Amino acid sequence: MWAFNQAITWLFKIIFFPWEKLHPWWGMIYISLLTGLFMLWVFRLTSNQAGIKEVKQQIKAHLLEIRLFKDNMALTLKAQGRILLCNLKYISYSFKPMLVMILPLLLILIQLNFRFAYQPLAPGERTIVKVKVKPGFDLLQMPISLTSSPGIMVETPPLRIEEGGEIDWRIRAVQEGHHLLKIKINNDQEVEKEIFVAARGARKLSTLSPLRPPSNFIPSLLYPLEKPIPSDLPLQDIEVIYPSGNFHFLGLSLHWLIVYFLLAIAFGFGLKRIVGVEI
Amino acid sequence: MKRRDFLKTAFLSGAIASAGWDPFRAFTNQGRRDTSQKILILGFDGVDPHLLETFIRQGKLPAFAKLWQEGDFKPLGTSIPPQSPVAWSNFITGTDPGGHAIFDFIHRDPQQYLPTFSASKTEEAKRTLNLGNLVLPLSGGEVTLLRQGKAFWQYLEEYDIPATVFKIPSNYPPAPSKQRTISGMGTPDILGTYGIFNFYTTTAAEVQKDIGGGRIHNVYIIGNQIEAKLPGPINSFKKDRPETFVNFKVHIDPVHPVVKISLPGEEFILQEGEWSGWKRVEFPLIPTQSVSGICMFYLKQVRPDFKLYVSPVNIDPANPALPITTPSSYSKELAEKFGPFFTKGLPADTSALDSDILDEKEFLTQDDFILAERNAMFDYELDRFESGVLFYYVSSTDQRQHMFWRLIDKNHPSYEPKLAKEFGSAIEKIYTEVDKILAKALAKIDKNTTLIVMSDHGFCPFRYSFNLNTWLKESGYLSLINEWKQGQEDLFLNVDWHRTKAYAVGLNGLYLNLKGREAEGIVTEREKEALMREIAHKLESYIDPTTGKRPILRAYVTKDVYHGPYTHKAPEIIIGYNHGFRVSWTSPLGGIPKKIVEPNTEKWSGDHCMDPSVIPGILMTNRPIKHSSPHLYDLTASILKTYGIPIPPTMRGKPIF
Ligand SMILES: [Zn+2]
Repeated sequence: MWAFNQAITWLFKIIFFPWEKLHPWWGMIYISLLTGLFMLWVFRLTSNQAGIKEVKQQIKAHLLEIRLFKDNMALTLKAQGRILLCNLKYISYSFKPMLVMILPLLLILIQLNFRFAYQPLAPGERTIVKVKVKPGFDLLQMPISLTSSPGIMVETPPLRIEEGGEIDWRIRAVQEGHHLLKIKINNDQEVEKEIFVAARGARKLSTLSPLRPPSNFIPSLLYPLEKPIPSDLPLQDIEVIYPSGNFHFLGLSLHWLIVYFLLAIAFGFGLKRIVGVEI
Repeated sequence: MKRRDFLKTAFLSGAIASAGWDPFRAFTNQGRRDTSQKILILGFDGVDPHLLETFIRQGKLPAFAKLWQEGDFKPLGTSIPPQSPVAWSNFITGTDPGGHAIFDFIHRDPQQYLPTFSASKTEEAKRTLNLGNLVLPLSGGEVTLLRQGKAFWQYLEEYDIPATVFKIPSNYPPAPSKQRTISGMGTPDILGTYGIFNFYTTTAAEVQKDIGGGRIHNVYIIGNQIEAKLPGPINSFKKDRPETFVNFKVHIDPVHPVVKISLPGEEFILQEGEWSGWKRVEFPLIPTQSVSGICMFYLKQVRPDFKLYVSPVNIDPANPALPITTPSSYSKELAEKFGPFFTKGLPADTSALDSDILDEKEFLTQDDFILAERNAMFDYELDRFESGVLFYYVSSTDQRQHMFWRLIDKNHPSYEPKLAKEFGSAIEKIYTEVDKILAKALAKIDKNTTLIVMSDHGFCPFRYSFNLNTWLKESGYLSLINEWKQGQEDLFLNVDWHRTKAYAVGLNGLYLNLKGREAEGIVTEREKEALMREIAHKLESYIDPTTGKRPILRAYVTKDVYHGPYTHKAPEIIIGYNHGFRVSWTSPLGGIPKKIVEPNTEKWSGDHCMDPSVIPGILMTNRPIKHSSPHLYDLTASILKTYGIPIPPTMRGKPIF
C-alpha cells in the first residue's frame, strides 16, 4: 500500500511541479483543465457516442413537437413522456464512463485535498496536535511527550481526554519550513509527524499532510502522504490542525471541491467540440 | 439597581438581528480633495493637565515635552457636565449641549420616570411577516444616533475635504457620511448593551454575587468535562424571542492545569492564566441568518475551582451585525488588515475589575491588548494620512484613571498600600503609552500639518458619593410613598410623585417634576423659575457635616448656560460637584439611600463628572494658541477656519489660531 501511495504521490508531484511557486488558483485551474480533458477522453472511449447523439436528436425532436402542438394536450403529454424516456436512456449511456471514472477520480480527489483544502501554518500561529491512542491503553499511565525541531514550539503539557482516547498539545509555529514533531511513548518508542510552516503573505501551492494514518487499508488510502504509523505502536493516528485553504472569489469563501468541479465541468463543456466528444 | 446593572439590561434586545438586514448598503468614498493644510488630532480621553504637567516635568513624557516647547499648552475648557459623551459632542458639533442634545450618559422618559440611554435608540423592523413561530423583518430595523447637530467632518465633506475619524465618542451609529469613520464610545456589544462579560465557575458562592456588567454561570465538571453556553442576542426572528446561545465544551486534563475549549468549528487549548486572543462565534437565528460576534477567553483558574472569563461579545468588524463604520466597508477593510479587533465602545472591562472577576493585573493585560490594537491601526492610518483631517482616539487613558486613581491617592477610601506598590504606576504608564503615540505623530507631520493633542476633560479623585435624590428628599423636594422602605428600591419606585417637585437622573442632571411634561407633574410654569433658583442656591450652599466641605461647587441652571434649539430638553439644573465628590452609584437611576454623603469604596475611584472648572482637559498644539481660555467647541471652529469654511452662526466656538 505504502509503495502504491508513494507512486501516486510522486506522479502528482510531477503533475503539479510547474505550479509550485504560484498561488493555488493556478494549480487549481490547471488541474481542472486536465480533469475536464480526462473526463472527455474517458467519455469518448467508453460511452455509446452514436447512441448519445441519437438520443439527443430525439429529445430535440420531441421538444419541437411540444412547441408545435402546444394547444394539443394529449400530444404534448405524450412528447413529454418520451423526453423522460430519452433522458433515462441518456443516463444509461453515460453510466459506463461514470463507473470507469470514479476510481481514478477518487485518487485525484485524495491528492488534491492535501494541496487545496489547507494552508500551512503561518509563523506565530498556534494550533493543536492531536494524538489518538488505540483503545485499551490507559492515557494517564502512558508516558508520552511531544518535542519538535526548532521551528516549532510546544507550548503546553499534554491534555488528556480519556473519552475518545485523545492527547492534545498546543504548538506555535516559529520558523518557516518543513519541521518534524517527535512523539515519544513509553520512553523507548518514537514516532514522527511532519509539519509545514510558511508565511501567509504570498500563498503558494503546497502539499500538506494533516494526518499520519494507522496502517489499516482505508485510512492509509485516504491519507497517502505519510507512511502509516507502525502497527506495534499504541497510537492510532497523529493529526495537525491546519487552517482552512478555502478559495476566495468575489467576496465568497469557497471550498476547493466546489471550485474544482465547477471549473472541470466548465472546461469539459467548453472543450467538447474541440475534442469532438458528444456529451 | 446599580448604574452598571442598568447597562446590563439588553436595551437593544432583538433589533440586532434585523438591523444588519439591508443587503444594499452603498459603497461610498470620502472627500477627495488634496489639501495643502492638514490637521492631525489626537484625542486622549481624560488626560489631565495637572498630571500631564507633573509627568512632563519629571521627564517621563519626552514627546509631550517637545511639543510643549515648540508649540503651546493650555487647559481646555470642558462641557457642562464634563461627561465624555457630552464633551465630545461639544467638540464634534462646535456647540454646547443646547445644540447637540446630549446632556448626560443617561436621560429620562418623563412619562415613565425611567432612565434611558442618551446616545442612541434602536427600533426593530416596523413591517414583519409572521410565519408560524417565525417573524421575518420586511424592512430593516433602525438604530438612530440621538446626537443632534452637524459633525465637523460633515462640514468638511461639503467642501470635499477628506477626514478619517477614528472611534470618536458619541457617534454610534456613525452619522451618515462619505468620510471614513468608525464609531467609538456608545457602540454596543452583540447583546446591544454597553458590555456584558460571562464568567463560568464551579464556586457556588460566586454565582450568588449580584454583578453589574456580567453574567456568572455555575458549571459542573463531569468526567473532566464542562458543557456551557455563551449567551447571544435575542432572536427576534422567533415569536417567543428566545435568547440565542453558542454551546461550548471544556475538556480538562486530569492533572495538568490545561484545558481545551471546543466552539462550533474551532478548538483551542489554554493553560491557566492564558488569554485566547479573538475567537469568532456565530449565534444561529434561522437557517439562513446568524449573528457573528468576537470574544476572548481567559482561563483564570483550573483547580481547585474552575474559573473561565469570556469577554463581552463584540460586534464582528468583518461581518458587523450593526452599523459601526462609514462607509460600511471600512470595518471590513480594517478586519482584513488586522484581524478581529475591539469594536465595543469602551473596550476595557471595568465591570469585571470592579466585581473582582478580573484582578488588576488581568485587567491591565486586557487593556494592553486594546492599546496594541489601537497602536497598530494608528500606524496604518497615520501612514496613509496625506490630506485633510485625521482624528484618532484613545480610551485607555480615561478607563485606567477611573480604575487606578485609588492607588495614587492615599486619601482615597479604597486606597490599598500593597496594591499601590504593584499597580500605582498604571496611570503613569498609560501617559507614557500615549506619549509614544504622540512621538510617532511628531515624526510624521510636516510644516503644513497642524497637530492638536486634546482631552475632553481631566481627572480628579472620587472619594465621596453624593446621593442627590436623598438630598432632595431631606430638603423637602422629593417625597416617598413608604418612609420605612427608603433605600430599598431603585428607579423611583418608592417616590410619591404627587408630592415631589424635583428628581435627579443621570450623573449630573436634576429635573423639575413639571406639570404637562412629566406624567404626574406638579410644578407649574409660574413656580418653575423661582424653584430652580432656590434649589440651585441651596445645593451650592450645602455643607457636608462629616467632611466639612461643600460637595457641590456650582449648580447650573441650564437655560442660563446652554445655547441652541435643544436647550428646552435639558435637565433644569446640572450639578457641578466639588473636587473629591461625585454623584453616588444609586442616585443616577432613581435610588434614594438614607445617607446624603457616603465614602466611595469601589475600585472605580477617579472621575470627572464634577464641575468643569475642577477638571479641565488639555490642549497642546504645534501652533501658538491665541485664545486665552480655549474650549472644546473652539477647536471645531478652528478646523473649519483652517479650510476657509465659514463658521455657521449656530456654532458657539471661536477659532483658537
Ligand atoms: Zn470617563
